[in-house]
Amino acid sequence: MANYRIRPATPDDCADILRLIKELAKYEEMEDQVILTEKDLLEDGFGEHPFYHCLVAEVAKELQTSEGSTVVGFAMYYFTYDPWIGKLLYLEDFFVMQEFRGYGMGSEILKRLSQVAVRSRCNSMHFLVAEWNKPSIEFYTKRGASDLSTEEGWRLFKIDKNYLVKMASEE
Amino acid sequence: MLACCGHCSVSVKELAEYEKLPEQVQLDAEGLREDGFGTTNPFYKCLVAELTSGHKTKEGHTLVAYAMYYFTYSTWLGRSIYVEDIYVMPECRAKGIGHGLLQKIAKIAVEQKCKYLQLVVLDWNKLATEFYIRRGCTDLTTKEGWSLFRFELDALNKLAEGDNRN
Repeated sequence: MANYRIRPATPDDCADILRLIKELAKYEEMEDQVILTEKDLLEDGFGEHPFYHCLVAEVAKELQTSEGSTVVGFAMYYFTYDPWIGKLLYLEDFFVMQEFRGYGMGSEILKRLSQVAVRSRCNSMHFLVAEWNKPSIEFYTKRGASDLSTEEGWRLFKIDKNYLVKMASEE
Repeated sequence: MLACCGHCSVSVKELAEYEKLPEQVQLDAEGLREDGFGTTNPFYKCLVAELTSGHKTKEGHTLVAYAMYYFTYSTWLGRSIYVEDIYVMPECRAKGIGHGLLQKIAKIAVEQKCKYLQLVVLDWNKLATEFYIRRGCTDLTTKEGWSLFRFELDALNKLAEGDNRN
């Protein structure tokens, strides 16, 4: 199937992006954790200082999904910073609907992301992968990615909002 | 703040030495200046701790700590904040400066309606681990199995140019 294209998302894509976010969360068994809304995506992605950027994979109308969508994959990314090497591209989420896999869309999205990174003079692309997600680990390591948690011992930590509020309101 | 990119650059190198990865520092003060202050959309924000009332360090510095952060995004929750670095010069530790920096970032996070704060810590760094756990941090690598991956510039260039599925 060569009848698809990868393009930057527009405000009209927010409903499809949210649908795909929920599908990916379901695959990661975390569907009930998605509280983001279309309104959030619109405000945060298409305002004056966007919090994120998004590429979508779109198929021709005759290949649309059973629910009538032509947007079948997405990648959300933003720019981060490492004081040792400078600008980075951070890949937040990357997903292609199951029935549209095996046609090279994932590779093409990754290629486009790499082009964005190089054009924006980023020195590296970072992202998280769950340890149990062997297909994703293989997809990335085959293409030259390193696992920094294993190689260098980096662990991801999080402080939830309730603790942030507590710290913020201390004297 | 522009004037202290030089001082921050020195502190960044000190932190890299402490984390046993000094050979990885390629950025200089000019790079920090350009990326934080030379653009309408800065790539990072930085807080600094400065000694007042004529106090200075042994080597004559007044800028003794920094915290670098930026805004990120979660597809589940929306706006979030990421703390890239917090560093306090050894002679100025145990005075609440580190806590003060993290508290200030927490205030910014709450003001900007961020849902959480994230950071990475090296697995051998017990002091940093304890500092963050005491303030409500969870280790998601242990709890949920997340690993941090990276494509370096060589791999990025290969991917950008064509097919490297091997």
